[in-house]
Amino acid sequence: MSAMSNVTAIQRCNDFVVKFANVNGSGSASANELFARAIIRMGVTVTPRNIFPSNIQGLPTWYEMRISDAGWRGSRGSCDLMVAMNPQTWDRDIAEIEPGGYLFYDSTKPLPRSKFRDDITVLGVPLTEICNREYSDLRQRQLFKNVMYVGALTALLDMEMAAVEKLISDQYRGKDKLISANFNALKLGYEYAKANLPCPIGLRIEHADSVGDNIFVNGNDACGLGAVYGGATVAAWYPITPSTSVIEAFTSYCRKYRTDPDNGAARYAIVQAEDELASIGMVIGASWNGARAFTATSGPGISLMQEFFGLAYFAEIPAVIFDVQRGGPSTGIPTRTQQSDLLSCAYASHGDTKHVLLFPEDPYECFSLGAQAFDLAERLQTPVFVMLDLDIGMNERLCKPFDWDDQRRYDRGKVMSYEELEAGKDFGRYLDVDGDGIPYRTIPGTHPTRGAFFTRGTSRNAYAKYSEMGEDYVYNMERLRRKFDTAKTLVPTAILREASGPSRFGVIYYGSTSPAMDEAFADLEGRGIHVNTLRVRSFPFGEDVLDFIAGHEYVFVVEQNESAQMRTLLINEGEIDPKRLVRVLHYDGTPITARFIANKIADALDERKVSPIRKQVAS
Amino acid sequence: MINWESNVFPGILGRVCDRPCEPACRRGRVDKEPVAICRLKRIAADLKEDIHGRLPKVPAQKNGKKIACIGAGPASLTVARDLAVLGYQITVFDNGKSAGGMMRSQIPKFRLPDSVIDEECDYIIGLGVETRYGQQIESLKKVLEGGWDAVFVGTGAPRGRDADIPGRQEAAAQIHIGIDWLAKVAFGHLSNISKRVIVLGGGNTAMDCCRSARRLGGEDVKVVVRSGFEEMKASPWEKEEAQHEGIPILNFLVPKEFSHAKGKLIGVVFEKVRAEYDAKGRRSLVPTGEPDVLMECDEVLVAIGQENAFPWIEQDIGVQFDKWGMPVLDKTTLQSTLPKVFFGGDAALGPKNIITAVAQGHDAAISIDQFCKGKNLMERPPPLTNLVSQKMGIHEWSYDNQISEEERKKVPMKALESALKNINVELELGFDPRLAYAEAERCLNCDIETVFTPKICIECDACEDICPTECISFIGNGDEADLRGRLKAPAANLDQTLYVSTELKTGRVMVKDENICLHCGLCAERCPTGAWDMQKFLIQVAHAGAEVRRT
Amino acid sequence: MTYLAKPKLFRPDTPKNALGYTRRDYEGAISTLCAGCGHDSISAAIVQASFDLDIEPHRVAKLSGIGCSSKTTDYFLGNSHGFNSVHGRMPSVLTGAALANRDLIYMGVSGDGDSASIGIGQFAHAMRRGVNMTYIVENNGVYGLTKGQFSATADKGSKSKRGVINNDTPIDLVALALQLGATYVARSFSGDKEQLVPLIKGALRHHGAAFIDVLSPCVTFNNHAGSTKSYDYVREHNEAVNRIDVILPHDPISASYPPGSLRRVVQHDGSILLLRKLGADYDPSDRIEAMNHLHERHALGEIVTGLLYVDESAEDLHRHLNTVEKPLNQLRDAYLCPGSKALDALNASLR
Repeated sequence: MSAMSNVTAIQRCNDFVVKFANVNGSGSASANELFARAIIRMGVTVTPRNIFPSNIQGLPTWYEMRISDAGWRGSRGSCDLMVAMNPQTWDRDIAEIEPGGYLFYDSTKPLPRSKFRDDITVLGVPLTEICNREYSDLRQRQLFKNVMYVGALTALLDMEMAAVEKLISDQYRGKDKLISANFNALKLGYEYAKANLPCPIGLRIEHADSVGDNIFVNGNDACGLGAVYGGATVAAWYPITPSTSVIEAFTSYCRKYRTDPDNGAARYAIVQAEDELASIGMVIGASWNGARAFTATSGPGISLMQEFFGLAYFAEIPAVIFDVQRGGPSTGIPTRTQQSDLLSCAYASHGDTKHVLLFPEDPYECFSLGAQAFDLAERLQTPVFVMLDLDIGMNERLCKPFDWDDQRRYDRGKVMSYEELEAGKDFGRYLDVDGDGIPYRTIPGTHPTRGAFFTRGTSRNAYAKYSEMGEDYVYNMERLRRKFDTAKTLVPTAILREASGPSRFGVIYYGSTSPAMDEAFADLEGRGIHVNTLRVRSFPFGEDVLDFIAGHEYVFVVEQNESAQMRTLLINEGEIDPKRLVRVLHYDGTPITARFIANKIADALDERKVSPIRKQVAS
Repeated sequence: MINWESNVFPGILGRVCDRPCEPACRRGRVDKEPVAICRLKRIAADLKEDIHGRLPKVPAQKNGKKIACIGAGPASLTVARDLAVLGYQITVFDNGKSAGGMMRSQIPKFRLPDSVIDEECDYIIGLGVETRYGQQIESLKKVLEGGWDAVFVGTGAPRGRDADIPGRQEAAAQIHIGIDWLAKVAFGHLSNISKRVIVLGGGNTAMDCCRSARRLGGEDVKVVVRSGFEEMKASPWEKEEAQHEGIPILNFLVPKEFSHAKGKLIGVVFEKVRAEYDAKGRRSLVPTGEPDVLMECDEVLVAIGQENAFPWIEQDIGVQFDKWGMPVLDKTTLQSTLPKVFFGGDAALGPKNIITAVAQGHDAAISIDQFCKGKNLMERPPPLTNLVSQKMGIHEWSYDNQISEEERKKVPMKALESALKNINVELELGFDPRLAYAEAERCLNCDIETVFTPKICIECDACEDICPTECISFIGNGDEADLRGRLKAPAANLDQTLYVSTELKTGRVMVKDENICLHCGLCAERCPTGAWDMQKFLIQVAHAGAEVRRT
Repeated sequence: MTYLAKPKLFRPDTPKNALGYTRRDYEGAISTLCAGCGHDSISAAIVQASFDLDIEPHRVAKLSGIGCSSKTTDYFLGNSHGFNSVHGRMPSVLTGAALANRDLIYMGVSGDGDSASIGIGQFAHAMRRGVNMTYIVENNGVYGLTKGQFSATADKGSKSKRGVINNDTPIDLVALALQLGATYVARSFSGDKEQLVPLIKGALRHHGAAFIDVLSPCVTFNNHAGSTKSYDYVREHNEAVNRIDVILPHDPISASYPPGSLRRVVQHDGSILLLRKLGADYDPSDRIEAMNHLHERHALGEIVTGLLYVDESAEDLHRHLNTVEKPLNQLRDAYLCPGSKALDALNASLR
């Protein structure tokens, strides 16, 4: 260990950022997650983020852990403690440490002084040396090195060893051999630190109660569960990061909840298709045939599915698509997060199309909006996109526990039954019978002589007969527009948060920006800057969104993409004067931070030489 | 004019024809009822404009031949018309005051108004035909002495058969022969009848009697027949109309006696019978053994048949008669055993109907023409035929190939209540043009032929696939019985010949069963090479004066 | 094409099947294809096969892609739901539909462009997966709707209507289907319904991926001299390996055949395929022999037709996925939603 020369070491309890710099494929991820969970077990809110490469082995990966008793879950930026386990990224890892911060590293190999910084506290543990001494197996050396640094950090941060041990016991329940081996490695690290390092350092974890009954889960998992609760029976997919684990989760939840207790048969069907075109094709085929079906994909998959989206839109077939967004364009930065598929989903496919989008902010909403998406898709007979992103999808997050009302029944929408057909009810597949733009459909096989129709992507009349007549086409297009208006009344409404004082400025944000915005709002309030915020949860926009914009002089639109896609949608759909919508854009692939948002808004207000209205003094 | 040319009396026949054509109509093979051909003829006649300008011109220069037509009924008038336009001098004799014969005397006015008869008879008379009305011919011998080149006998079947059962003489005042009674009504000699009337007989005359009786004050009018309802000779629609007018038809009742008292009819006693069939399917009516029934009534109309009577034809002039009192004739030429005497209509081969009389008139005219020219009577001109392709575009034909799937249209009628009040008011209003068009659209276009050219067929089977009635098959060749059984839909109607092509490239043949072909043209529309064509077939029935083709 | 609806009038003695339906009840809308198109004959064969098998029309789902052939799904089985999807993607839509309801009969109709060019991937994977379907390719070697370009099944050396010679090696979908694991593979000719109808019937009763490649001349763009997909060329080069009769479990077996000339194949549903051998001793249960025979004969310029391969013990996708007997689209809420109690337990495990 070496001490700092000129800066005071950071002293913080339950409010700091730890970052692990690892090499992927080294088994570090599970050790890092173990550490995060241990902290949660102590009642402290932790928000980890995995920053990983598009690679299986050997490239840099980071695990960033926001520890915040105040409950902030957004990425904060920089770190207070760097666990630097990757020589490849050493220099920039060291540079990222806050002044007064700490560096933890494997001190087995001596490093020149120039490799360190003066303004940080360096904590060295000869992990490799200890491993080599304790383990002969190469793989074991690698794996237990990770557990060993968790042990050392437990000591350094003044955590309870028992909490970590309990977690290991829970995790490897029934595998006693593994438990004791892990205990051993943990202890080696813990004891080395206790004996050789100044434990505890300035960063400490104490028991707290900010976790409450929150659950710790990732968004993809929640989407898979939402699909199970939403009644999906068919899933077709093609593996693509970062969406793959949606289907993996769906698979394992189906095995758990949807296996027939009598004969072990599956009440679901999951097909790994040959590509995204086939995936969405299967979803459309299954939905057309009356099953709830979905796929999960990411940007490139969305691009491939375009033609089918147009078919589903025009032929009016339900479909649910989980788009776990990543950085584009093209292959882009496939393992980083972005909100850059809004336009390609909202207007997916050629011709005049428009689709329903939902924007969950966290795993809780991945579950609830994911389940609701199936109701909306069947009610509206159209594709519905659940627009999460890598940040929510692939990172464990503390969130509200999932809930479900057992009285709730699936809304299968306007499906004409055998009885209705038998009674001679007029069936026009594309006939708007009640003005909401939504026609009745029939499920194949319903009635021997009535209700059969021909589904096609070509123009047709209200009775599904092929037609190239202009008036038939216009009838359909106008009805589809009415249907889209109906959608506005059915999709989740936006959520308004008012500043503590009057404001002429608003902020619109959505999806994974939520935790960073929460924190930025508090930050701005603290600086005396009042802005009202609105979290948009769906497209098409309801009146509430347009009213919000109308009620403010300027509205900042905070997004994680380069081209301000939400702003474009607002301008286009709400016929808003572009000057009134100010871009706040973050698109380097890392999650947006509260600092970034707060600074951008504060700077923008300065640049505009407008001073926000301060609190009015009562006269 | 098409209507007039062979039919001669479209307005009349369009109202009262027995319609032998309708059972033959192929629509009846694929649908419940045939096309209403008869009533379509009527509306065609009703809607025509003045046709005088279109009528054939009588040659100013006569050919010098003189023909006598005895009787002014449909057969005679047809002969007169066909021959007048060829330059013959025609004289029509009739005992009545005007032309028309039984059409005028026996058919009630509510079915056939005089105006229609007048008009259509006048077209013929107007061709320079001399008429001698009110002249009862007493002797054919005398007529023959008149120097005629030929004599045509078209005197009909003027005598109604009587019911010779006990009580007939005693109650004679209340018992009438149907056709005589109808004639009295027709000419206005009779204008009422008692309230309770029984009509004996099941033919169309019986129907005319009962319906006339209803209109002349008969309130309780019933028809009683010996046979079963189905076997009655009356046309189904006539029976239907009688029933519609509140006239019950009672069957399997054989009249046994006219019951009477003090010279006045009380009623008719009937024996109940049932039908029994022997091994050959011949029917006999056997008493059921139940007690006889007395049906009370005030008057009886006997309409149990008509007979021919030729008391005015002397036995010794060369016209021979058979054992039933009918003239011995050549069935084709209608020539009697006295060469210059020809017969036609009911007088020739027994009572039939008007359209048969017209047809015989045409035939007799041909014979007379040949006879007068000194030619062989058996050499008869063939009908004129012609085939013309109907193709206009890829799927457009110069005929109406969209066949209506609607049911036969009902002819609008006057309200029954007012119709029954006046015997001279025509009951049927006839089709209006809209209805007529809709009915005509039901026609399966027998005049359009499917013509197949084997050598350009590529055997794509498109015609076989599209045919709505599955009447086209491509199969290996065989004899007719074999082919009939192997078709896509077996051809069961042996009266309808098969259309079989020569052998095609694959060794198969195209076989078409004409029986239920709709002539919709879809086979030709689907044919990529034009191997199928829809061609209009025109037939003009032979008439006197036409060229006799040498074969 | 024709634009008038086919008259509904028909003969009173029109044959009816066990369900009381006439052949006409299995027809669809009037075809808009060119007069003489082979595809219309295939539609007629499908009508005949469905009629013969007493299929309830509403229990059939017919799916297709884009192209002349794909339009035909509108022209048969008018009381069945139909789906004209996107170009080359019918197999995935059909697969999805089949997943949703295992009880319906799935008929996929496609063309050589739809299946061998743009859709070859989906074609291949649907065969691999053993989707329970009858997949018919109406193969005419050209793009009809875009006016006569070669398709991927056009033979090398064949001449287009404009005189262009095709230099690319053709794709034989039958060979592909055999290699990819289809369990019922046949080839036929639109101009030979005697062969085609029983092949379709056998396929409809097959429980697995059934594929029939039907050569179907394009009268407008590919029926000239120099074409290898014309009526004349196919008739001259057609070499049938067998003829089949399909006998349903309840049918009496009436026909008699000389011993040794017949082979019985009993399918999963009890239907029997009676195969009458023609010429060489051909064994349709041997996938390898089928592939060899196909390639040998192709080298001789022959078009091999008939039932080339059938696997009596075929399994389908649902079997592989072990799905419940009841169609997935009929499972109601209680069978699908685990409910709040399960969720509470799950929440607890995530703390």
